[in-house]
Amino acid sequence: MYYRIIRNDFMKNKLITGTIMVFISISAMLVSLAAILIVNLSGSIDTLMTKAKTPHFMQMHTGEINEERLLEFVLQNSKVDEFQVAEFLNLENSRIFINENSLSHSVQDNGVAVQNKTFDYLLDLEGNVITVSPGEIYVPVSYKKDGTAKLGDSVLIYGHKFLVAGFLRDSQMNSLLASSKRFLIHEADYSQLEDVGSKEYLIEYRLKDKKDINVFEAEYTKANLEKNGPTLTYPLFQMLNAISDGIMIGVLLLVCILVVAISFMCIRFTLLAKIEEDYKEIGVLKAIGLRVTDIKKIYLAKYAVITAVSCILGIILSTVFRGKLLWNIRLTLGESAYSSYAFCFGIMGVILVFFTMIAYVNKVLKRFKKISPAQAIRFGMNQEKSIESRGFTLSNNVLLPTNVFLGLKDVFVRKKLYITMLLVFVIASFIMIVPQNLYHTIAKESFGTYMGIGQSDLRIGIMQTKGNMRERAEEIAQILSKDEYVSAYTILTTKTFQIQKLDGSIENMKIELGDHTTFPLKYAKGRAPINEDEIALSKLNADELKKVVGDTIILLSEGTKRELKVCGIYSDITNGGKTAKATFTDDSADIMWCSIDVLLSDATMIAKRVVEYKECFPYAKVSDIKEFMLQTFGPTIRSIHMVSVVSLSIALLISLFITLLFIKMLMAKDQYAIAVMKSFGFTIYDVTIQYITRSFFLLFMGVTIGVLMANTFGETLAGMILSALGASTFRFEVNVVSSYLISPLMMVCCVLIATLLATSCMGEIKISDNIKE
Amino acid sequence: MSKIIMSNRLIKAFGKEEEKRNVLNDVSVSIEEGEFVSVMGPSGSGKSTLMFCLSGMDTVDSGSIQFDGEDLTKQEEQKLSDIRRTKMGFVFQQPTLLKNLNIFDNIILPSIHENKKNKAVIIERAKLLMKQTGIEALTKRNIKQASGGQLQRAGICRALMGNPKIIFGDEPTGSLDSKSAQEIMKLFSKISKDGTTILLVTHDAKVAAQTERVLFMSDGKIVNEMHLMKYNGANLEERVSKITEQMKMIGM
Repeated sequence: MYYRIIRNDFMKNKLITGTIMVFISISAMLVSLAAILIVNLSGSIDTLMTKAKTPHFMQMHTGEINEERLLEFVLQNSKVDEFQVAEFLNLENSRIFINENSLSHSVQDNGVAVQNKTFDYLLDLEGNVITVSPGEIYVPVSYKKDGTAKLGDSVLIYGHKFLVAGFLRDSQMNSLLASSKRFLIHEADYSQLEDVGSKEYLIEYRLKDKKDINVFEAEYTKANLEKNGPTLTYPLFQMLNAISDGIMIGVLLLVCILVVAISFMCIRFTLLAKIEEDYKEIGVLKAIGLRVTDIKKIYLAKYAVITAVSCILGIILSTVFRGKLLWNIRLTLGESAYSSYAFCFGIMGVILVFFTMIAYVNKVLKRFKKISPAQAIRFGMNQEKSIESRGFTLSNNVLLPTNVFLGLKDVFVRKKLYITMLLVFVIASFIMIVPQNLYHTIAKESFGTYMGIGQSDLRIGIMQTKGNMRERAEEIAQILSKDEYVSAYTILTTKTFQIQKLDGSIENMKIELGDHTTFPLKYAKGRAPINEDEIALSKLNADELKKVVGDTIILLSEGTKRELKVCGIYSDITNGGKTAKATFTDDSADIMWCSIDVLLSDATMIAKRVVEYKECFPYAKVSDIKEFMLQTFGPTIRSIHMVSVVSLSIALLISLFITLLFIKMLMAKDQYAIAVMKSFGFTIYDVTIQYITRSFFLLFMGVTIGVLMANTFGETLAGMILSALGASTFRFEVNVVSSYLISPLMMVCCVLIATLLATSCMGEIKISDNIKE
Repeated sequence: MSKIIMSNRLIKAFGKEEEKRNVLNDVSVSIEEGEFVSVMGPSGSGKSTLMFCLSGMDTVDSGSIQFDGEDLTKQEEQKLSDIRRTKMGFVFQQPTLLKNLNIFDNIILPSIHENKKNKAVIIERAKLLMKQTGIEALTKRNIKQASGGQLQRAGICRALMGNPKIIFGDEPTGSLDSKSAQEIMKLFSKISKDGTTILLVTHDAKVAAQTERVLFMSDGKIVNEMHLMKYNGANLEERVSKITEQMKMIGM
C-alpha cells in the first residue's frame, strides 16, 4: 500500500519532490564531505607529526645561546625524553631566487636549515626522512602548490646555486600561517651561507609524556633560560596544520546548515500544504478510528523514501567530489592513516542527516493531533486560521490594480507562510552582494591605499642583486627629471632596521625611507612623516608594538639609539602587513630594495613609458600601478572574483528553485480560491499577475533587507577578514550598476521565470473539480 | 420571450477507457429569458455537471450550448471568463468567498476587477444590494464573523453586482437551516420578479416548488419536466406534493 501511495504522490508532485530531493542530496553530500575531510585531516596530521617526530615544546631564540646551561636543565628534568638545538638561518627574501624570480614579494620569512639528527625531521612527499646531498635543496611544499618551484628548478641563494631535488613537508612550518619556511640543504652548503643570514635557534624538546607539556612549559619559564622569541607547543602545531583545511570544513558545514535549513523550510511548507489538502481525509480517517500514529506512518513513509534516496545520492556525489577537496590535505600533510575509516564516518554523517530529516517531518506531523474530525468533515478545512488584515481593503484601494492588490493582500494576510520565501531572498541577496562588493573593492585602483602605496601611475623597482642600487636610482631620477611627461616622482628605499620593543627585546622592521608627501596615502590615524624624527606605522605593526599616534619608537642604528615619534598609522596588506615609513636619511643599513613612484601628466602615455623605461633600465622592474596591483593581488582578485561569480550563480539558482517550488505549492494550496476567482470571471492571466505580485513584493523586500545587511553586517565581516591582513577602516567600494542594478535584475528575471513556470499549469485547475459538491 | 440558453445533445463522460460513464447523456435543454428554473434529481444524476457545463465552467465531450447568441463550446478560456464576469452570476452550496477579503470586498471584487463603472457607483450598488438582502450590518466584517445564511446572501449580492443575465445556483440552500434556506429562496423569488433568469440545482422539493419549471434528471438524462405557476408565496405545500408525486411516478 505504501508503495502505491508514494508512487502516486511522486508522480503527482514530481517538481516539488524533485526539488526537496535536490536539497537533501546536497545536505547529505556536504555532511559526508565534511566528515570525510575531518577524518582525513586529523589522520594526515597525526601521521605527519608522528613520522616527523614533532617537538612537544619549542622555544625560538635569537642572540647568544648557552647550550651548557640548557643541557644542565635537561639532565635535571625527568620529563624530557629528547632534546636538541636546531638552527634556522633566516635569509633576505630578495636574495633568494627560484628560476630567476626572487621571493621578495613573499610574505614568509624564508630561510635554510639542515636535517635534524634525532627528531623534528623534514619529510619528503612519501613521508620519508630526507637525506640531502651537497648542491641539492628541498623546497617547502607550499611553493610546489602555488607553482613557484618544480622538480629540477634552480635556486640561487646569495649567489650559491642549488638544484631542487624534491619538496619537503615540515610538521612545524607547513601552514601558511606559520610565517617561517625552512628550505633543506646539506650541512656543507649551510656552513657556507652561515655568515649571510641571521641565525635563529630552535630549542626543541620531546617529552616522555605529552600530557606534561603545560607543567614543563612552566618549569622552563621558571628556569629563566633562553627566551628571545616565541614559544610553541605540540597542540599549537596541530592547530596550525589543521587551520586552513579546517576553515574549508567550517565553510562546508556552514553551507550545509544553510541547505539543511532550506530543506526544512521546503519540507515544512510542502507538508503543511499537503495536510491542508488532505484535511478532510485525515478527519475521516480519525473519525473511523485510525490512530494518529497510523495516519502519520503514511506521510512518514513517503519522506523516509525521499530522504533515503536523496542520502544515497548525496553519498555518491560526495565520492565524486572528495578527491578534489582531499588534494590539498594529501599534498600538504600527506596520506591519512585513517582514510579507510573516512568513508564510514561520511556514511554516519549522512545517517545523521536522514534521522534529522525524519525527526523534523515527525515534528511537523504532530499537527494531526490538533485536527478535529468533526470540523474536518463538516468544513473540509481548518476554521481557526487568522484571516483578513484590517485597513488594507479593496474598497479603500485607490492606486493599485485589483490583481496587484489581491497579490499584496495575500502576503500581508498570510505573513507566516511567506516568511520562508522572504528569508531565502534575503540570504540569496546577501551571498550575491557581499563577495561582489569585496571584489570591486579589491579590484579598484584606490585599493592601493590599503596596500601602503600612494596613487601614482608607474612604479620602478630595483632589487639588491642587480648592482649598486643607490647609483641606479639616481641614474633613473636624472632621466625622469628630463622627461616632459613626468609631472612628479619620488625615490623610496626600503631598509631593515632593528627596533627595541617594550619588553626590551629586539625585532627587525622594514622601513621605507623617502618623501612620503608626494604620493600620500590615506592614513587611518595621523599623517605622513614629514620631519626626520617621525615614523608612520602600518596597522599590524602598530597593533603588535602597541603604539598609537604620539608614542615613540626606539630604533637601533650602528649601536646608537634613535627615537622616532609615531605620526601616522596606515593600512597595508603587503609584506605581511608589517611595514613602516619615515623620512630620515641613513647610510648604515643595506638597501633591501628601492622603488620610484612616477606620476605622468598624460595618463595615455603610461603604456608607452612602461615599454620605454623597460628598455632604458633593463636592471629595474617597471610596471604600471594597475599591473603592479594585478601582480600582487592577481590571485586574490581572481579567487574573490570566482567566489563572487559562484555565489551569484548559487543565489540565482536558489531564488529560481525556491520560487518555483513555493509558487507551485502555494497554487496547490490555493486551488479552491483560484477556482472561485475563475468562476466569477478572473482569467488565468489575472491570477498569474497576482502570483507575480507576491513573488516580486517578497523579492523587493528580500533584496532591500539583503542589501542593507550586506552593507552593514557584510561590510563588517569583509572588514574583519581584511583587518586580519592589515587593512583598517575598510569601506566597500560599491559598483552601483553591477551590485544594485544588474544583479537584482538577474534575480528579478529568475523569479519571474520561476513564477511563470510554476503558474503555467493554472489552466489545469478546473472550477468544477474544486467547487462542485 | 427569447431563449437565453439552449443546449443541444450534450454528452459528458467521466472516467478512463473501460470505466467511462456518461454523466450527461444526450441532454438538450432551453431556458427562456427571465425564467426561474430548477433541476432536480438524486445524487449522481448529473444535475450539477449540467449546470457547470451550461455556464461554461466545465467542458462537454460533444453537443453545443448557445448562450446569449454565442456557442460556449467554441469559445476560448479568456472569452468564457469574460462572459462569466459580465453576463453570469453564481451561487454555490458553500459560500465561496475569499478568506483574505472582508465581506464587502468579496462582494465588490468581480465588479471592481471589471472596472467598467466607476468605484463610487460600485460601492453604492453593493451597499444597496446588502441592504436589500438584509446584511447591511456586515459591511466591515470578515467572513469568520458571519453565519452561513449571511455568507450565502453575500454570495448572492456578489452574483448580482454585475447585473447578470442569468444566475446559476448549485444547491444554494444545501448547507443552510430551514429558516435561512427559506429566506434565501424569498430572495431568489424577488430577483426573478425583477427579471433575472435563474437556474437552480437542488434535491429539495421545497426549493424546486418555488420555481416556475422543474427539470427532473436521472442517469444523465432529463427524464421529465413540470411547469408551475409563478410562486407568489401561497400554496407551497401543494406545489411540493405535486413535485413529489411526479418524482414517484418517474421512479426517483
